[in-house]
Amino acid sequence: MTKVDPGPGSDLGVSTAASLHAQLEQFATDVGELYRRQKERSEQLEAALSSLRLAYRETVRSMAYVVEAKDAYTGQHLERCRVYGNSLLEAIGVAGDYPNAEFGFLLHDVGKVGVPESILNKPGPLTAAEWRVMRTHPTIGSQILAGIPGMDDAAEIVRCHHEMWSGDGYPAGLAKEAIPLPARVFQVVDAFDAMTTDRPYRASMGVERAVEELQRVSGTQFDPEVVRAFLAIVDDLPVVRA
Amino acid sequence: MSLDAGGGNRPVVLVVDDDDAIRGVVRTVLEADGFEVVEAADGQAALMLLDSINGRGPDIVVLDVMMPGIDGIEVCRRIDHALMKVIMLSARDDADSRRRAEEAGADGYLTKPFSAIDLLDELEAMSR
Repeated sequence: MTKVDPGPGSDLGVSTAASLHAQLEQFATDVGELYRRQKERSEQLEAALSSLRLAYRETVRSMAYVVEAKDAYTGQHLERCRVYGNSLLEAIGVAGDYPNAEFGFLLHDVGKVGVPESILNKPGPLTAAEWRVMRTHPTIGSQILAGIPGMDDAAEIVRCHHEMWSGDGYPAGLAKEAIPLPARVFQVVDAFDAMTTDRPYRASMGVERAVEELQRVSGTQFDPEVVRAFLAIVDDLPVVRA
Repeated sequence: MSLDAGGGNRPVVLVVDDDDAIRGVVRTVLEADGFEVVEAADGQAALMLLDSINGRGPDIVVLDVMMPGIDGIEVCRRIDHALMKVIMLSARDDADSRRRAEEAGADGYLTKPFSAIDLLDELEAMSR
């Protein structure tokens, strides 16, 4: 089978410099075409990914609204927490590290589904026993998110959104950097929005007084660095439509 | 030279062309697309390589027609077409040349200069 035998056609010769040149030019064209196709495909993927993300966010939002509907306090608080939280992560320069933090901002109170309505909406102060139940909601919330792939950062925010810089928060009494950064970010924007929004039991205190209050508890309740970063952007926060 | 197609599931393509540059480009493109590539620089080397198969051989042979010594048509004629498919590369676009390739058992025919994209399309269709 391997006997050397110049069969018919062997006299056609080998490729010349001109034909090689033409072939390499064709390959160069191919490279351009392959690149164009690849780019088109990645643009399609990009678009599909962003519409998936939008759908995902809206699903998370619905889930969060279910919780908030049970609570008396609703409005656009969740959306503002999401938008302000993202702005603050951006300002600190770590937005890219926590792409799913926004889901934690939206779902921070999801664990309240495990707290009886009688406690959530109790008009007067809670008893010690009622507080014990109330304090389970960050843990319940993080457990709800625990099984969802990619939700680790969000679950951390949910678990730690009532911790305090001083270590006096709950559920774990974590202090300072032991509290994940996105959770420290959330605490500041959540408090700011709560203070600058009319609530059923009191009117907004206005931005100026809210800023003073943030400064007052900076270093005890909140991470002072995060408060400083927030105050630098507080006048330029995106407008969230009601 | 021996043929070691490995144990992977990727289709193996034997590229036979007397030009190093062309083989190099074809190898790069095919490997990027997930094919395993084996090369031979002329007809005789290709036949020796096919003879040395011990186990899995190439699934497809990409075969230049015009080569010194044993040309592509002759190599194609000697290939066991029950085991592998053959795509011919030829500078000639006339009916006679196509007919000769077909008679030698070729499954595909691309004229030179050929597009690497067309080659990929043919290979993908054949290895499906």
